[in-house]
Amino acid sequence: MANNPDQPDSNPPPADGTAAPKPPDAQERLRGVEDAGAQALSEALRSTSTIVKVLMVALVAAFIFSGVFTVKPNEVAVKLRLGKPVGVGAGQLLKPGLHWKLPYPIDDVVAIPVGESHTIKSTAGWYAQSPEDAATGRKPQPMGLLRAGVDGYTLTGDGNIIHARATMSYRISDPISYWFNFSNATNLLQHILDNALAYASARFNADDALYRNKLSYQETVQSRVYEMVEKLKVGVTVQPREVRVDTEPPVDVTEAFNDVTRAQNQGDIKIQEAESYARGATNRAFGEASVILGGAITSSNSLLVTVAAEADRFAKLLPRYQANPDLFRRRLLAETMEEVLTNAQYKLFLPQRADGKQWELRLQLSKPPEIPKKETPKPE
Amino acid sequence: MKQNKITLVTSGVLLLIFLCMLFTFQVRQTEVAVVTTFGRYSRSVTEAGFQWRLPWPVQKVYWFDNRLQTFESKIDQLTTGDQISLVISVYLGWRVTNPKLFLESFNGDITKAEQTLEPIARNAKSVLGSYRFGDLVSTNQAELKFDQIEKEMFEAVQAQTKSNYGLTIESLGIKQLNLPDSITTIVFERMKKERETLVSIYQSEGDREGKNIKAKADAAANAIIARANADAETIIGEAEQKAAQFYAQFEKNPELAKFLLDLKAVKQSLKEHASLILGPQTPPFNLLNVATNNSSSSTR
Repeated sequence: MANNPDQPDSNPPPADGTAAPKPPDAQERLRGVEDAGAQALSEALRSTSTIVKVLMVALVAAFIFSGVFTVKPNEVAVKLRLGKPVGVGAGQLLKPGLHWKLPYPIDDVVAIPVGESHTIKSTAGWYAQSPEDAATGRKPQPMGLLRAGVDGYTLTGDGNIIHARATMSYRISDPISYWFNFSNATNLLQHILDNALAYASARFNADDALYRNKLSYQETVQSRVYEMVEKLKVGVTVQPREVRVDTEPPVDVTEAFNDVTRAQNQGDIKIQEAESYARGATNRAFGEASVILGGAITSSNSLLVTVAAEADRFAKLLPRYQANPDLFRRRLLAETMEEVLTNAQYKLFLPQRADGKQWELRLQLSKPPEIPKKETPKPE
Repeated sequence: MKQNKITLVTSGVLLLIFLCMLFTFQVRQTEVAVVTTFGRYSRSVTEAGFQWRLPWPVQKVYWFDNRLQTFESKIDQLTTGDQISLVISVYLGWRVTNPKLFLESFNGDITKAEQTLEPIARNAKSVLGSYRFGDLVSTNQAELKFDQIEKEMFEAVQAQTKSNYGLTIESLGIKQLNLPDSITTIVFERMKKERETLVSIYQSEGDREGKNIKAKADAAANAIIARANADAETIIGEAEQKAAQFYAQFEKNPELAKFLLDLKAVKQSLKEHASLILGPQTPPFNLLNVATNNSSSSTR
């Protein structure tokens, strides 16, 4: 400070600041000599103090504004003051909007994304697949074996091997538990999902898990996930339709599984054929039955009609017959003979032999009935 | 004067910050801390908040995450009670509950802690030795002891970590349940065999079921026709019964009735393709008898 007057210009502002109270005395004593230097100094001081003032205001403003932060619409936040959450219970949660905090070491803010849905995939039970293969759906080559820890799979209740994977979506329902109780809740949920797949596979047989009862398998995975999430109080909600499970037989046995499906289909086709045959047979039988019944009704009707007509005729003929039976008989006989003889194809009359003996006739009957019979009278 | 004040305040604030850095520390809600004095344990802090300390060379603070951490064990091959080899991996959920012990055991290093958890998990897996393969995987829910096995493993890891590492294991789950590589080949063969059996079952089932359906349908059709025939007989029978009343008419003169029936029979039987050989006695041809006698004798 003593050398201040000697080198007024070379002094940097901070040094001037400390020397500031002295200039009034110096000004009186050394007015003549140091006039120019003092002038410069006081000017420098004035400008410095202005800068400092502006800086101070700016700093205070910056301090206040640096404490403003926003909580985004899909988040909640917790303010930690000296490491401790501010507020009690649900009051700890800051809603979306503008909030204020003290600068860092005192206050800190943890933002928790509660609004969005988070997705976890379990591929521990799935075959190793490169992203390109997964995109194109290409499957690995059969190798005759699976390597534990490399090719993921699960063991089914009947001791078979199947691939199983799952996707699960969840939302954070209890942000305080989710954030303050679990260093990596995502990781834990992943383990829970892997475990649920192993658990579900262990109690289903391969056919059920793969085809027949896939839905029930999925439900088992789901309820296991619920149970574990509840038990460990992870603070998340898994929606029922947000657990999706996919199962596949290993590539080594895929063909065998396809054969089964084919055989099942063929069996179904055979049964369907039989069913359509059965429908046809029943319909035909009903048709035939109605023909039989119709015929019976027709012939019974005609029988009744015929008999009635005959009876009627008889009743009419009876008085005439009774009047002269012999004549009546002859007349009817003659009518009949006339009709019969008109219809007959061959008529042979054998007169009485002169010697009074009987004629001997030989008939040669040919087989086909449609050809008229041939009689050869053979005079002895 | 003004500048002096500002300087004072500024330097005061700076000094305060500096002192705070030296003499205080904070523990967050998610942490626990241990304070050591000249390398020796002096206290643990399990409550979040502001704490006093002596500056660095004297006291040192170690912070640990007190939230649940997860650890996944490597896969290990084990044998069940019925001599079946399994490859199994488990996950553990654990947290630091005694920071003093945790610091002393692992020097505060989580990697070291996990290295210790590995053999603990492996020991727990050996619980499987007292179970059968069928207890772990089975389609018979009553027989399945999956949960029980997990629980026993959990108790085993808890027992091993109870009071010596400063950490508590809060959950355990089987993550993967596999078979040794060479066994998978055998399983594949068996699966193929099973499928083949299923194929033949489905095929023969289809055949049998189809035949069954056809046979039933045929039987039903026959029954329908038989029924119809029986009904037809009944209808005709009834008609005949009704006709009987008309036959009573014929009783009045059976002779005429017989004669009429005969005539009808003759007409019916000689309708077509008939050939008649008539003797001299057949009326009315007996009329011709005399004439033929004469003519035949003349031809002779």
